[in-house]
Amino acid sequence: MTDTTTIELTDDVRWINVCYPHEERHEHVSVYLIEHGDRSILIDSGSFYHRTDIRTRLERATGGDGIDAIVLSHSDYPHSGNISAFRDEWGEVELVASSGSPELQGLADARRCTIGGSLEVCGRRFSFIDPPLADRSHTTWIYDHGSEVLFTADGFGSYHEPGDCDTVSSGFDDGITETAIYEYHRHNLVWLRYVDPPKLRDALDEIFARYDVSFIAPIHGHPIHGDDRRQYCTRLLNAADRIASEHTVPETPD
Amino acid sequence: MTNSREILPDVYWLYEEGPDRSGMIEAMEPIPDWYDPDDPVYIPQCAYLIDGAEHSLLFDTLSPASTEHVLAELDALLDEPLEYLVVSHPDVPHAGNAPAIMAEHGAELVAPRYGDDHELYRLDDALLVGEGDSIDLGSFVVDFHEATFLDAPVSLWMSERTEEMLFPVDWLGFPHHASEQLRFVDELEHDLDGTRLLQFHGRVLFWHQYVDVDKVQREIDRLKRYYDPAWILPSHGLVIRDDALAYMDQLKGVVEEIQRRERIGTLG
Repeated sequence: MTDTTTIELTDDVRWINVCYPHEERHEHVSVYLIEHGDRSILIDSGSFYHRTDIRTRLERATGGDGIDAIVLSHSDYPHSGNISAFRDEWGEVELVASSGSPELQGLADARRCTIGGSLEVCGRRFSFIDPPLADRSHTTWIYDHGSEVLFTADGFGSYHEPGDCDTVSSGFDDGITETAIYEYHRHNLVWLRYVDPPKLRDALDEIFARYDVSFIAPIHGHPIHGDDRRQYCTRLLNAADRIASEHTVPETPD
Repeated sequence: MTNSREILPDVYWLYEEGPDRSGMIEAMEPIPDWYDPDDPVYIPQCAYLIDGAEHSLLFDTLSPASTEHVLAELDALLDEPLEYLVVSHPDVPHAGNAPAIMAEHGAELVAPRYGDDHELYRLDDALLVGEGDSIDLGSFVVDFHEATFLDAPVSLWMSERTEEMLFPVDWLGFPHHASEQLRFVDELEHDLDGTRLLQFHGRVLFWHQYVDVDKVQREIDRLKRYYDPAWILPSHGLVIRDDALAYMDQLKGVVEEIQRRERIGTLG
């Protein structure tokens, strides 16, 4: 039976939490729906693998109207795999993306958002943030001023146990575990093997000093309640330090 | 626009220029002396075709903006259908024409074994390869490697034994003028200097802002010893066939410079 539920994070932001199963753990490949008056804005479009599930949940959440816009964090296939299908389904869906070369990314008619700038989409204000935790060059984190939710694309992820698919950070007795954060980032942000953790910490601190955050909303992990941000960040930086420590590089011979 | 150059007997460089990037050079302070405002600047997509004595192999596919062009190039350069299609990583500008090429040629798809989401990239039926794996094409043998400096987790690098070629994908890319397209680096009027390498790596491998510089520099030294290539064939630059180790060494200074600056910008 198809799951038609969405999970409310704030009054107007819903988590559509589909998962991809690895052997003993799951990885979220989520999207988020923002309701703004009678308009519906989708953050990322998800993977083709979950197309039917996401479409069904969107139909139910929007009363059959579908979405009016997609704001894309980056063009990686698990994030962008349903753009064409949803546009075919619901007609004129505006696409907003940070790519400076949309024709090379298969996003030829995207409206460009500039990283470091802000845009109104369906009358709602978003800011686009240079992400210190990302893989692709044109990735942006997306801050929704209306809800104060920060959508962090590939950053702030975690793997989870099969029974925890619907859980936000506050649903765990002791938050999201450092092991889950470590495992996710070790597999997905491979460059962390070279990271200098204080530099990453400073970049994150700068973002959170500038933006009040009600939720951090990753595509590949549990949404993190604002009250749990510091705990998650501490564990993230510990995980980053561990990933770097495990990758040793020999000294250059004289 | 796509075109090609035979860089060695039976080794072809397929080239897609992409949009004019002059703006990113004009924003530099100071503007580097190699820049000519009357000559467009490109950071290309490159693919490489090896037509071995027994088998043919294409490394990457160019972007979806060049589907017809890459198919036409393959038709023109090959007498038989392509046999192996290697995607370095499932990024649109690298792998976006894989379905069209597979449909036309029926080649075996070869993909990185690294990462754990292959099904989400439609790579679960590919031949998955990595360090220790090779394909003998007859007159050439290619070896696959875990990518060292990368963006996507599902990534690989490739080398070739006979001619000592290294295909480092998103590493060692750089901008060049329209008048320089499909030239070897040793054929350029101006040296390939750090200003070009900085513009690319500060954007595409932006994460160098957050790294331990000494560790990355030691990794570059390790790569020089491990690969010791005669040729470097990048996915977003011009082919290097002379003094390859010196250009790898130059990246050590570029990493230091990335750390000294705010983020330069994005690409892609």
